[in-house]
Amino acid sequence: MNQTILYIEDNPDNMRLVERALESRGYQFLGAVDGEEGLQAAEDHRPALILLDINLPDIDGYEVARRLRAMKTLLYVPIIAITANALKPDAEKALAAGCDVYMVKPINIRELWARVEAYLPGSSIPNESPAPSPL
Amino acid sequence: MSSLLTGLECTDSGEKYNPQQVQTYCPVCQAPLISRYDLEAGRRTLDREQFRRRPKGMWRWFELLPVQDPANIVSLGEGDAPLLKVSRLQEALGLKHLFVKDESFNPTFSFKARGLSAAISKAKELGIEKVIIPTAGNAGGAMAAYAARAGLRAHIFMPNDTPHANVEESRIAGATVTLIAGLISEAAGMAGEKARLENWFDVSTFKEPYRVEGKKVMGYELAEAFEWDLPEVIVYPTGGGTGLIGMWKAFAELEALGWLNGKKRPRMVVVQADGCAPVVRAFEAGATFCDFWLNARTIASGLRVPKSFADQWILRVLAESAGTAIAVSDEEILQAQRELAVAEGIFAAPEGAATLAGLKKLVGSGWIRPDERIVLFNTGAGLKYLK
Repeated sequence: MNQTILYIEDNPDNMRLVERALESRGYQFLGAVDGEEGLQAAEDHRPALILLDINLPDIDGYEVARRLRAMKTLLYVPIIAITANALKPDAEKALAAGCDVYMVKPINIRELWARVEAYLPGSSIPNESPAPSPL
Repeated sequence: MSSLLTGLECTDSGEKYNPQQVQTYCPVCQAPLISRYDLEAGRRTLDREQFRRRPKGMWRWFELLPVQDPANIVSLGEGDAPLLKVSRLQEALGLKHLFVKDESFNPTFSFKARGLSAAISKAKELGIEKVIIPTAGNAGGAMAAYAARAGLRAHIFMPNDTPHANVEESRIAGATVTLIAGLISEAAGMAGEKARLENWFDVSTFKEPYRVEGKKVMGYELAEAFEWDLPEVIVYPTGGGTGLIGMWKAFAELEALGWLNGKKRPRMVVVQADGCAPVVRAFEAGATFCDFWLNARTIASGLRVPKSFADQWILRVLAESAGTAIAVSDEEILQAQRELAVAEGIFAAPEGAATLAGLKKLVGSGWIRPDERIVLFNTGAGLKYLK
């Protein structure tokens, strides 16, 4: 419980959405609004998982991923790349840079929960409201 | 005559949204919205036989569609595509009841006409003036045609290897077409960005709530054609999955209306190309959502969808229907396309032909029994894919 997840993202709407979603499941949330701030936060807090937007205002997410992987303490921290562009080269570059998986915006919250839970099993508040059948 | 639409709901949380306002998808869960109807009232006031007596077409189901004022309907005569018994193919495969629902009879020669008729009609009703769409092909042509008929501006993003007919049919209807070096998912990113910056209404699959309402009518038509006793198996080519989900929704609505004679719903089969099979991969892995399919490749442009926005919903339909998902190769698609034409005179789109290729595998494996009633969906005309 209460494992820290770092989200590196410059879009405040996405930041709020993901913060609310993760905190509702019991995770500690940590936000960083650009790459440099994200790298510093990662080094300082050693999060259990990192959500990484690829299109950042200072250094791009690929470079952030490479630098994260270069830190010995973060070598095995799962990194989920998130981008607005469902571009195949983007996905391949993200994976090559050290990200573990690739998600495309808009971020479906139920999928995000499932992906985070897959990397941090048993770390969240159990989901009391599984998706109802919509039909 | 009035629509029984009562509201919109998030497919994840059930959160309610007002259909009198412009809606896209749930801003909290970032999941598709679904239209809800007062089916209790429908059960009391509607008679299934009254729909049979109305003039043919999708809008004869008006009460169960989302447009409030009939004056806002934008129609080119979509719906009621023929259900063809394919006896020669049936015999060749050792089956007893094989049918093709031939959606190439729709305006713009594909099933996309149904969804776009519903979406553009509702857009008109809500006062929307410009619409944008990313498309792998036929949806672009359909949106251009319906937008033209409604007097709306249209902008379409397509991969640059989209069939030529789709590009030309869009342009001749006055739409602005942007060709991009990439897939529909990349087109979606660009269309979404333009929509956000310039206030275009994004009609992407499941990013607005009403295309699925048009597509669901395929389910009503099947139920009616089978005298309200649904077939055992529906084989459907699945890219975005609107038709598959739409039909499943239709069957649920018909059950709620008390119109079905049998209790069993069809087993739904997703057919994808093996060069882009995210649903098949997720289904086989027992996953509840799809991973983004990298390097998608297939001649069936409508199946080049690396990840549907409604992927979780598609997988739920497969689970609820005890269905399955199967991938076929481009060679198998081309072979099936020839067989449909030679045996039955149907020049199917590659996506439609894929259903026959998938059926052959399912018959071979014993998943389908010879005495079952099976419907294949041909989603468009093969002519549109000629180079």
